[in-house]
Amino acid sequence: MGGFKHENEEVNLPERLNIGVIKYFWQSSPYNPSKKNTIPHFLRNIVVFKDFSDYELYILSKFIHERTYENGEIIFKQGDLGIGFYLIYYGNVEIIVEKENPLSTSSADSMEYSLVTCLENKDYFGELALLQENSIRSATAVAKNACKLIGIFKPDLDELIRVHPVVATKLLQSVSMIIAERLYSITKEVKILKYKLSKMEQLNENEVK
Amino acid sequence: MKMKLNSNKGKKIFFFFLLIVISIIFIWSLPRLSIPLMIAYVLYLIVEPTIPQLLKLGVERNLAVIIIFLSLAIISIIPVVALVPTVKMEVENVGIYLPKVETYIKTKYEEIQLVVLQKAGVELNNEYFKNAIIYISDNLQKIIINIPKLLASLLEWLLVIPFLLFFFLRDGFSFKRIILKLVPNEIFERTYYLSNELNKKIGDYIFAKFIEASIVGTIIFVGLLLMGVRFAFLLGIVAAFTNIIPYLGPFLGLLPAIILGLVEHGIQSPEFSGILILYLAANVIDLGFVFPILVSKMVNLHPIIVVISVIVGSHYLGVAGMIISIPLAAAFKLVVAQIYFEIFGRG
Repeated sequence: MGGFKHENEEVNLPERLNIGVIKYFWQSSPYNPSKKNTIPHFLRNIVVFKDFSDYELYILSKFIHERTYENGEIIFKQGDLGIGFYLIYYGNVEIIVEKENPLSTSSADSMEYSLVTCLENKDYFGELALLQENSIRSATAVAKNACKLIGIFKPDLDELIRVHPVVATKLLQSVSMIIAERLYSITKEVKILKYKLSKMEQLNENEVK
Repeated sequence: MKMKLNSNKGKKIFFFFLLIVISIIFIWSLPRLSIPLMIAYVLYLIVEPTIPQLLKLGVERNLAVIIIFLSLAIISIIPVVALVPTVKMEVENVGIYLPKVETYIKTKYEEIQLVVLQKAGVELNNEYFKNAIIYISDNLQKIIINIPKLLASLLEWLLVIPFLLFFFLRDGFSFKRIILKLVPNEIFERTYYLSNELNKKIGDYIFAKFIEASIVGTIIFVGLLLMGVRFAFLLGIVAAFTNIIPYLGPFLGLLPAIILGLVEHGIQSPEFSGILILYLAANVIDLGFVFPILVSKMVNLHPIIVVISVIVGSHYLGVAGMIISIPLAAAFKLVVAQIYFEIFGRG
């Protein structure tokens, strides 16, 4: 590659420009606003929001709430009224289900908790609350360590529908996709269970004979 | 698997409620602040539904608020400029007119007294009547004496309310977000849900009532104007304002019109029956067409609850209490239902 004339002297540039180095110096400038840690950037990396344009993510980011939780803090409780859909910005969240233990005598001990799943960064939960009227939480969510969540709540969705219908539609599409996928896997599981049940019934009948 | 859930967040919740209680007491104890705040909030609720319409057209929020604000200013200035002479004349006339009403009532009373004496042989006591007249004229004097004071605070409001309204419209969205940031995690979802429902209920109610009142007021004003009855504009405004009070309002609005009709035209005149028919027609239109269309927006309360809350409201806060009792009752119902579900679970 050649050089270019600067005033009267010729400046020789290296054969290949090291883009990485230039990029490093450009981005390390204190005046360069880093966009890596902003909410739209975070939302961009979430699979269910892949159909959103950058501007739509920017609008969506104005309607969400950032909430921080300490270790062991309850995010929502089973049986409570739920209005929020949460994404995990950082930290871990445990989803647990309360089961009443009929054997235990004291009321404080009668509740038993069983872990359903442990969620991490970029996972989401509580999406049903966004679609259901008077949704009741079917499980309890607890922060396992210090974590930051991004919440989208029903009133925000209503406002989004009122002001930015296109973004609202895309959000609803994303949430519907999550639910459709879940429904699909549940249907599959039901099929397998039904098959197993019929097998067991057959076995039972054979034994009786 | 067993685990103990960490729910020792009492301090945060206590702090949050303390903050709310202190700010409510602070604002309540300063009527000079709370009244303009409340009026600005009501205006905000009436105007706010227009903002999304402009935002959908691609107008920026700031510009949308400025457009709404300017059009509101123009809309409210034109009638004020055009109607100030009329209203001034009508108010002055009312001042001249009141003694006429007084003498009319006196002569009527004497007539009735005579009739009762002839028919039943009982002389009616004059004391009650005299006391009533003294009471009314005393109160009127008090109002007239207080007018300069009222005008001074009105001037203050004229500056403060638009200022507050502008920032409510511009920053209401972010204000809400900042306040929500303070809500402790434990009660966040419930608080957000409840505050949103309350706001929606009160907003819908005020918006619906505003439209209903302006329709009724316009019908009365135009009707009276066409019939050539005096004080058409004042009576229209009175009808619009009293219409806000449920059930009792239409009768309260009718009262000054009946007195005027009796004094001015007499009970057998066509104007008197015309006034009655007009008020009847306005209320039939209101109940038959306006109310059913807006009723979905109204709060869902049983008529008995409505009447009880209006009586309670009038007992503590007078006419203002009658007007705000309904949304307050609806809000109360919502909060109580929420607490009930919290304690007894959702069946």
